[in-house]
Amino acid sequence: MKKSRKGLIKKIALYLFVLVLCAVILYPYFVMFTTAAKTREEMYALNMTILPKDWKWSNFVDVWSQAPILRYFLNSVIVAGGATCIAILCGVPAAYAMSRMQFKGKGFFLGAVIMSQMFAPVVLLMGIYRLMLDLNLTNNLLGLILLNAAFNQAFAIWLLRGTFLSISPEMEQAAKIDGCGSVGSLTRVLLPMAAPGIVTTLIFVFINAWNEYTMALTLISTDTLKPITVGINVFNGFNMIQWQYMFATSLFATAPVIILFLCIEKHLVAGLTSGGVKG
Amino acid sequence: MKKSAFKKIEPYIWMLPSIILMVTMIAVPVFTVFKLSVSDISRSGVVKGFSGLENFQSIFASAKFWHTLQNTLVWTVVVVGMSTLLGFIIAMVLNQNFACRKIVRAIVVFPWATSLIIQSIVWKYIITADFGSLNVILKKLGIISRNINWTPNAAAYFAWECWIGIFVTIPFVTFCVLSGLQSIDDTYYEAADIDGASFWQKLYRITLPLLRPNLTVSTVLNIIYVFNSFPIIWTITKGDPADKTHTLATYLYKLAFTNGRMGQAAAVSVVGFVILCFCAGIYMILSLRAEKEEQ
Amino acid sequence: MKKILAMTLAVSMVLGLTACGGSGSSSSTETTAAATEAATEAATEAAAETETEAAAEATGDKVPLNVIISQYGNNTQEWWDGVFVPGFAEAHPEVDLTVEIVSWNDLYTVVANRITNNDAPDILNIDTFADYVADDLLMPAEDYTSDELKAKIIPSFWNANELDGTVWALPILASVRSLFYNKDILEAAGVENPPTTWDEVKDACAKIKAYNPDITPWSLDVSSDEGQAAFGYYTWNNGGGFVDESGNWALNSDANVESLNFIKEMVDAGYCFADPMNATRYPQQDAFNAGSLAMMIGPCNMISADSDVNYGVAPMPTNGGNSPVAFGVCDRLMAFKDDSAPDQDARTAAISAFFDYFYDQEVYSEYMVYEGFLPVTSDSSEYLPENAEKFNKCEANGGTPGENDYFATWCGMLADCDFYPASRAEWIDVKQGVIDAEQQVLEGADAKEVLDALQEDIAG
Repeated sequence: MKKSRKGLIKKIALYLFVLVLCAVILYPYFVMFTTAAKTREEMYALNMTILPKDWKWSNFVDVWSQAPILRYFLNSVIVAGGATCIAILCGVPAAYAMSRMQFKGKGFFLGAVIMSQMFAPVVLLMGIYRLMLDLNLTNNLLGLILLNAAFNQAFAIWLLRGTFLSISPEMEQAAKIDGCGSVGSLTRVLLPMAAPGIVTTLIFVFINAWNEYTMALTLISTDTLKPITVGINVFNGFNMIQWQYMFATSLFATAPVIILFLCIEKHLVAGLTSGGVKG
Repeated sequence: MKKSAFKKIEPYIWMLPSIILMVTMIAVPVFTVFKLSVSDISRSGVVKGFSGLENFQSIFASAKFWHTLQNTLVWTVVVVGMSTLLGFIIAMVLNQNFACRKIVRAIVVFPWATSLIIQSIVWKYIITADFGSLNVILKKLGIISRNINWTPNAAAYFAWECWIGIFVTIPFVTFCVLSGLQSIDDTYYEAADIDGASFWQKLYRITLPLLRPNLTVSTVLNIIYVFNSFPIIWTITKGDPADKTHTLATYLYKLAFTNGRMGQAAAVSVVGFVILCFCAGIYMILSLRAEKEEQ
Repeated sequence: MKKILAMTLAVSMVLGLTACGGSGSSSSTETTAAATEAATEAATEAAAETETEAAAEATGDKVPLNVIISQYGNNTQEWWDGVFVPGFAEAHPEVDLTVEIVSWNDLYTVVANRITNNDAPDILNIDTFADYVADDLLMPAEDYTSDELKAKIIPSFWNANELDGTVWALPILASVRSLFYNKDILEAAGVENPPTTWDEVKDACAKIKAYNPDITPWSLDVSSDEGQAAFGYYTWNNGGGFVDESGNWALNSDANVESLNFIKEMVDAGYCFADPMNATRYPQQDAFNAGSLAMMIGPCNMISADSDVNYGVAPMPTNGGNSPVAFGVCDRLMAFKDDSAPDQDARTAAISAFFDYFYDQEVYSEYMVYEGFLPVTSDSSEYLPENAEKFNKCEANGGTPGENDYFATWCGMLADCDFYPASRAEWIDVKQGVIDAEQQVLEGADAKEVLDALQEDIAG
């Protein structure tokens, strides 16, 4: 009797906690949504209300013609997609070598990988700009792709190496005895087994690149080349701030990433475990 | 013979693409920044020549720099510490069985999946005293009757910025911990239950030790990310009022691009890098020692 | 034979353009791509037609001109891309013009980075130039300003860009700040006339506050965005200012100390928005337009097209019996040197052509109406008060025809305005310094001490 009562209190406390948690997390999104549906006049009017006085759904449609949002989206997809591809293509072989082979300077390379993670783009902006200028890549999406790939390289290698280490090398050795080379044992045996970790890495890099702000802000000046994080500032223009469009765009920019995240939630947990334990 | 020579260089070939990418895109800019930090750069940005440690001397002589350094420390410790604590608690809760657990887990991902810049813009809008959403809601709920100024001074601003930092960092910690929790074998707890262990005993003796790798990953990564974090503070205050809410990242950005002191900004970059290196050194030593103990 | 000749021409053109591309365009990859495309086109056409030689030669000699224009409104890009660039290309086929629109947010970053990396634009639109002069980066304005153009720029604007006896920049446009007030609110609160002195300001604010506490009576922006403007509003109308009569920095004058204390008094009394250190002018303008802010010192074009506020404009309120000083803001256009340009004369000619075309009465007047700013040339200032209706405002401003009255009123005020001492080398430090001082005072520091320290820092 006493025990079930204690269980009940525990249950109530649990649900209360979860309820508050969700309310706090969802609050900014609620604000974005309701503000996006307000008229501009309502934003600064006297007697403001929580919900719009009259829902202006057309904001969600108009915003696409107010600025080249679609173009910004496309740029973000190109940059994040390109950076992810390059980061994985370079990261998988490196992680493979670091997890399966013994060689001189391995410790040094691992250290260098961790060190590289310490340079945030914002700290290196001046140097980055100089480099992009020398490579003729300022105001160019390719430049952003390469930079994002590079700055996510350390993280990618770390996660991938952890994943590879958590998989026993016996299968590969068996494959090698059967006549597979390193490439064969990697692509046929290891990669399929490491799929969850690879997906996690993929998503991480994609999201980091999608959310990157400072480099794009500094390197891209042509309006039609801006990714969405920078492009959103058009509504913070010279003479007015258009909150309603800003938040409508924000919602559109956030939705695909959230969906992506939800798709891989299971892998996310699995990948982090393997990456973490041996990292 | 030939084969063994190939074997020797094989690992390097595997790593070559990655090395090329990181050297060109990271090492080269690092070199440029170090060079700029010892250069005399005019305000419009022309490099005039070598200036020795002058840039470092002038930033060390500035009270704003030391205040910024202090802020950076507070910012990193508070944001990483609090988000680890809260993230851990949330992960423990999410590991329980309850209805709609799946939905709640999905919701916890939200702040992580939202761009920092968007998160910052919306929070800035929320806490604005005069038009902000927080005051409107509290007024409509009858909790307050007049607008409250949520940001009366620099410290209040900084506290809000820390809160936003915590808010966006929690999901990462939560999921790191959650992944660890799910890999802990239930038999440990069952055995502990038979021995009559309390909740706290189980936490200290079983959960925490087994979660150590996960917590290490999340903490190390978060220290680096949070230390270098830029969009939150830049969007909310740009370091104002009176440069009291800067961290190193925003301070160097303002020095370089608003005040036109590129050389000093590069010097701040170098200082920030040295600090992180120092932390990395400590981490390495600790992890090496831990490894030895295990052996 | 002709085919070979065309191919050679095309190839040399690509080489030539690639070489020119290095001279200062950030989009040189684009240029190269375009050139390759053009070259291929030229080659194919040459095979079929006979006249291509001349055309290829004409395009082969194009002078690249890279211009950075700052963003003055939500539609700035559209005017430059849609109106100016095509019009200019038609009038001057010898120039290959690229115009980049950069927001004020990013402008300093973009420009500083480009200069550090020897990639300055040919022509830049920004607010200051002293730093560039100090580094010997600019061409003297006399070098590219035609006599006709010089003759029509209003002398006070021409002279405002002088430093050490040389004029280094041209004014691009101007705006005037004055006191805007909401007639309905003032009337309802029992304030008969707009305040003319600081005491009357406080009095009016108290009455408005008593009438409806939800209305914010007064506006103040001491954010890093434009806090130096507030310094000007209050010090100039209190007999102080940035410099003394002999032109030396005088930041810690008693009048300035009094002005900062007045600002603090207004904030402490709750007459301004709660957060003047972070709230920029723009949301405050929006609040005025929405009717939740009663009085505001703002620029001539701050009333939005969709606002139905019944407003009036009055001179700046003053203190200590000083007469009101109208506040003018003026941005600049300047041309950078480029030693790497292969043909300096052609480059200078292209720059001259750009300016002559830009300040052409029709083109320039159209741009002024479009953005809602005030002209700095004498012909347009005479032309617009009678002909503004010929042109349309930009879409964000309603897209309606310009108003003659608007230009008649504000162009008249422009002549008596004071401007920032922006041509001085220390200006950037002063600008940051006064913003910092204002914020420190609002945070509780002593105004006298703060300004003394600043004066010491700048002039000491």
